[in-house]
Amino acid sequence: MRGFGRDQGRSYNGITTRWYAALRHPYLPHRDPVNPSRAPLPPSAPWVVAKFGGTSVATRARWEAVADIAARHLAAGRRVLLVVSALSGITDLLKSIAESGDRLHGEEARTLIIERHRALQRELGLAPLPALERLLARLGDLLMDERGRSAALDWQAEVCALGELMSSTLGAAFLSARGLATGWLDAREHLAAVPLANLGAWAHYLAATVPAAPDPAAAAELAGRGEVFITQGFIARNEAGATVLLGRGGSDTSAGCFGALLKAERVEIWTDVPGMFSANPRMVPDARLLARLGYEEAQEIATTGAKVLHPRALGPLRRAGVPLLIKDTNRPHLAGTEIRPAPVDAAPCVKAISMRKGVTLVSMETVGMWQQVGFLADVFAEFKKHGLSVDLIGSAETNVTVSLEASDNLLNSDVLSALATDLARICRVKVIAPCAAITLVGRGMRSLLHKLSAVLAEFGALDVHMISQSSNNLNLTFVVDESLADELVPRLHALLIRADALRVEDGAVFGPSWHELCGDGAPLQPPAWWRREREALLALAAQATPRYVYALDEVRERARALRAIGAVDRWHYAVKANSHPAILAALEAEGFDFECVSLPEVEAVRRVLPALPPERILFTPSFAPREEYAAALAQDVRVTVDALHPLAEWGELFAGREIRLRVDLGIGRGHHDKVRTGGDASKFGIALDQVEEFRALARQHDVRIVGLHAHLGSGVLEAGHWRSVYLQLAALAEGFRRVESLDIGGGLGVPSRPDEAPLDLAALGAGLAEVRQAYPRFSLWMEPGRFLVAEAGVLLARVTQAKRKGHIHYVGVDAGMNSLLRPALYEAWHPIVNLSRLDEAPAQMVQVVGPICETGDVLGANRRLPECREGDVILIGVAGAYGAVMGSRYNLREPAAEVVLDRAGVAAALPRCPQERAGSAEPVAGDAS
Amino acid sequence: MNLADPRAAHAFRFVRRDFRAGVAELVYAFDEGPELVERITFPQAPEAPAMGAVALDAALDLLHLIAGVSYYKAGVPGGIRVESAALDRSTAAFLDTLYLHGLGEFAYHNRLDLRGRIRFPHGDAVAVANVPAADRDAAAAPASPRTLVPIGGGKDSLVSVEILKAAGVDATAVWVGNSPLIATCAAATDLPLLNIGRDISPLLFEYNRLGALNGHVPVTAINSAILAVAAVLYGFDATAFSNERSASSATLEYDGQPVNHQWSKGWDFEQAFHALLASRVSPRLRYYSLLRPLSELAVAARFARNTRYDGVFSSCNRNFRILGPRPADRWCGQCPKCHFVFLALAPFMSKPRLLGIFGRNLLDDPGLAGAFDALMEYRDHKPFECVGEGRESRAAMAALAARAEWREDALVARFVEEIAPQLPADAPVLDDLLKAEGPHLIPAPLARQLDADR
Repeated sequence: MRGFGRDQGRSYNGITTRWYAALRHPYLPHRDPVNPSRAPLPPSAPWVVAKFGGTSVATRARWEAVADIAARHLAAGRRVLLVVSALSGITDLLKSIAESGDRLHGEEARTLIIERHRALQRELGLAPLPALERLLARLGDLLMDERGRSAALDWQAEVCALGELMSSTLGAAFLSARGLATGWLDAREHLAAVPLANLGAWAHYLAATVPAAPDPAAAAELAGRGEVFITQGFIARNEAGATVLLGRGGSDTSAGCFGALLKAERVEIWTDVPGMFSANPRMVPDARLLARLGYEEAQEIATTGAKVLHPRALGPLRRAGVPLLIKDTNRPHLAGTEIRPAPVDAAPCVKAISMRKGVTLVSMETVGMWQQVGFLADVFAEFKKHGLSVDLIGSAETNVTVSLEASDNLLNSDVLSALATDLARICRVKVIAPCAAITLVGRGMRSLLHKLSAVLAEFGALDVHMISQSSNNLNLTFVVDESLADELVPRLHALLIRADALRVEDGAVFGPSWHELCGDGAPLQPPAWWRREREALLALAAQATPRYVYALDEVRERARALRAIGAVDRWHYAVKANSHPAILAALEAEGFDFECVSLPEVEAVRRVLPALPPERILFTPSFAPREEYAAALAQDVRVTVDALHPLAEWGELFAGREIRLRVDLGIGRGHHDKVRTGGDASKFGIALDQVEEFRALARQHDVRIVGLHAHLGSGVLEAGHWRSVYLQLAALAEGFRRVESLDIGGGLGVPSRPDEAPLDLAALGAGLAEVRQAYPRFSLWMEPGRFLVAEAGVLLARVTQAKRKGHIHYVGVDAGMNSLLRPALYEAWHPIVNLSRLDEAPAQMVQVVGPICETGDVLGANRRLPECREGDVILIGVAGAYGAVMGSRYNLREPAAEVVLDRAGVAAALPRCPQERAGSAEPVAGDAS
Repeated sequence: MNLADPRAAHAFRFVRRDFRAGVAELVYAFDEGPELVERITFPQAPEAPAMGAVALDAALDLLHLIAGVSYYKAGVPGGIRVESAALDRSTAAFLDTLYLHGLGEFAYHNRLDLRGRIRFPHGDAVAVANVPAADRDAAAAPASPRTLVPIGGGKDSLVSVEILKAAGVDATAVWVGNSPLIATCAAATDLPLLNIGRDISPLLFEYNRLGALNGHVPVTAINSAILAVAAVLYGFDATAFSNERSASSATLEYDGQPVNHQWSKGWDFEQAFHALLASRVSPRLRYYSLLRPLSELAVAARFARNTRYDGVFSSCNRNFRILGPRPADRWCGQCPKCHFVFLALAPFMSKPRLLGIFGRNLLDDPGLAGAFDALMEYRDHKPFECVGEGRESRAAMAALAARAEWREDALVARFVEEIAPQLPADAPVLDDLLKAEGPHLIPAPLARQLDADR
């Protein structure tokens, strides 16, 4: 029954199959828009099946794009079968008719449907189409149909099928009118569903299965009828000839079936995105386009979260060996994602990280019957009875835990309750939700485990409900609380890249990032300032190395950018990041106050800025001795307390004073993951359950708590983070009568790798403005450090020696971990270039190491640099924060000195301070150059 | 500016009130200190008030007197001076009661005894009917009945919206202030919208810095007075609030005085304010709570019937000002409101749906045992929040204890083992608590529908 054209004019549910032959149609010009004199295609010409979704067929501009794509295929010698969805939004309307069964609602929806299609018909420049009018009338008949009263399944299928029938009717007329002779095919003639024993009546009509295999006779027969055809996605017929639907994503499934049936050269899924990505680009802007995938991997990614392709499309194509391409309608020139058989020698590699929310776990514990025969059978029989399909399974001797995917059924019916009731007869049952399943997808997952240590460490800080690794070795899934997932996925993606498990450099697998493809085209970060200042830097390096160079104008620019976001009432510079006098002076001139974590820092600020009023200094120490608090209070700087001890033991010190309280928001706060379990393990702040005790101590000693402070982490690049910190603090602060200010700390991230997107300051400002407005009682303080100075500083070093051991090349420089500790301390990544050979192409992969006698004295691992010679100047970027301030004389080597590059020339007038580090006494480069 | 500590003030003054171009200016002061000016902005206010100028004047007077409570409480001075209007005996008595009970929780937290302290000055008249006969004409009345339904962002007002929609009432969703969460909820109702602006005097924050007293004020009373002005201005003859039966019960008793966190949501206030509006502003104005005869559980059961607000509403008192895409943005999970609403909805919707709304399972967090104990009035008094009665929480928990998908969750299991055995055998069950009962001011047709549609 798969033959084409054998029952032309056959009637399905009252709709007569129509065949728009271009030559016979009265208003169709007899012309080929591509090549008027083109010879007909030979019978052997290959087929291409191109599927277009609802938005791709909703406007004239989109239909013109469809026509161009079809014409290009035709010009390239391919026969074309277009598979289309209903106009966007129409299927939802039809479904609402089918499911409500309410005639009044049905009439309203029908009016909307008629308007949409007539409007598009006019927009396409077409006269009223009898075929379209018949379909619209058919909808009216169906509304009056008695079967509608009981929402009979066959009736529902007929109602919903109308959307595709209408869109394809409009499409056939438009394409033909445009000169591309296009035949309209009724998909139900060609796609026949088969009843499967395990599926119920609902699936039989509304989520049917079509087995499709190459049918050369049918393909040849169709080729004899024309060159370009249009048909419907989503619909098929059953063995009785009635209309059935293919379920969600049914148009993709139809395209897959037709591709297999015709043994097409390829199937193209045209959509609104450039292809499949290594993660959901909305969550991970750094996600990479997947240029090439095997069927199995693609199916796994589609099944575990990606929405771009329905996994059911791939089965028929895999069996028929037909490749599938995902293409972007708006950017047809992009290569997209190609899915085809995986090369046998492909190395194992993580291809994607996907995530599904709304997962429900059902955990079942046998009641004291160890190795009870038939337990699993009994359990799964209950799931089957309630029509619930199990996804992941984890089992032990006495416990089986399974996951259920999010579904309307689960949400809006009592099916779970009924299931649990039945299960409770044979086991103890516990329902855990809402969960998210985070899946790493890639062939050979089990041989990648050694690369996943950082990823596993990330999960180690969380409560993982379940881990599942499929026997097909394509995935590794972690089930965690849903609230953790949004922040976890981008971090895991970055960790996978860092661990070389997701090998984004492999051009055969990965394409550009989402940001590169879909951003505004601008590079993520502007070119670093030191490229402009290369000559000056080389001159400075010629004087002495190693040395830090700070570009004051960069500091000022960051400061102004922060102040420009508004919303924040008081900005403090976290002095610990870099206490160089020129930087302190420059930031004071930009209106910044200062946050100091030790008395010497307070003193350093006062030395540089003797006229600074003391209330512009915030003293926020950790485990400082009593004398430091006493001295700070004596100087009238603002003091933050973060433990009970100072008030409990030295209460008289604070009597009558105002203080700020640093709290640890960690415990019980699910939506910031690390603090959830890490709260107690961090030495900062007081735990929420001690706040009342602290207040009681404060009352006892007549101490006024006028501010609350929290600082939850560093290097945060998500703009929404501080908004949520503020909300938590504000909620807490509402119980305090005298609290005026909320200090949400710093931690504003600085991208280190060139492909990381910088913090979105506009989004930060908007988020803070919103929360600020919601709590007008409080003023908002922040205290960034690294953000202001990191990128302004570079470390210049000279190459001392080069060495090769085995296949590993080392480049030694005269700066080591005693100058820049971050790589050794935090495994921080700093950009490294050979400034002497900036324009030369990278040659070798090298390890950039320092002169300190420690294996860990590595400034940069696995860097591609041009060949480095002794005396070359090496620049280590993003080194302005936590660089010189952490310097030491380990091995009795002096740390790098510091020098300031000040184009605006303000810092030249600074007072000199006798105890400054070596570098600050040097001439200011701005004067010299 | 030289501000004096309001706690040292001798008198709180109602200085004057103005209305110009849709903006009501309410002016107060402590002694001769600077003026505290609150502004209420009525968008696109008509030139001529729909119910007449006399009614508007009367409504504005009430608003001025009622909204003063936010400022009065900063110092609770012994003297009250009303310079903007002359009060009759019964209006003064209404205000005395409102200020005393509306500030009950405030007084409790600040360890104050306000009894006998709040005395609004008044003339000799028992009651002055402020409504001249001319204003009772049909001409001044709205042509067709229209109802204001205030939206709070929580489940209650959304239940009212659906009741009014089902009854075909011409309703407008109204809210005061600029909460994006409430705006989103209001938009989801599909009703016409009215957003009234309210700007509290920034001087109040300055006073707070000086040590002014701070705490809970009867915000529902203030909003009721704002909506009375709106009703007169735009021509609405009814305001349907969404306060339920349990809002009338006291949270605790302190020094012989019942203290109710939500006094102005209670039945006493509703009756008194309705009577005041009818006698002072316009007899056509109807002020009532549509959910008055319902328990919190009955409201929860009705809310569960409709999924359209699942992703937008929040009853959380901590996060309610903010709209966010994630459940954790809307539900803090830490406050009694979160706990109670979670528990109250649980018997009436599927577990995945409920957990999807809240983004987590509060009943499987052993750390919250004390919080749920408080809701059930087990070993602790009821929290100072708008939450249901202890018996409602107990009945909801008992219903969950009978459900296999909930029974193993930490706090339900704890209830089964520890609390349930101590409950009397005749404790009310869920069904008993769903009946509509008790006094109310709901228009008869709506009341009948409420009864029929259980």
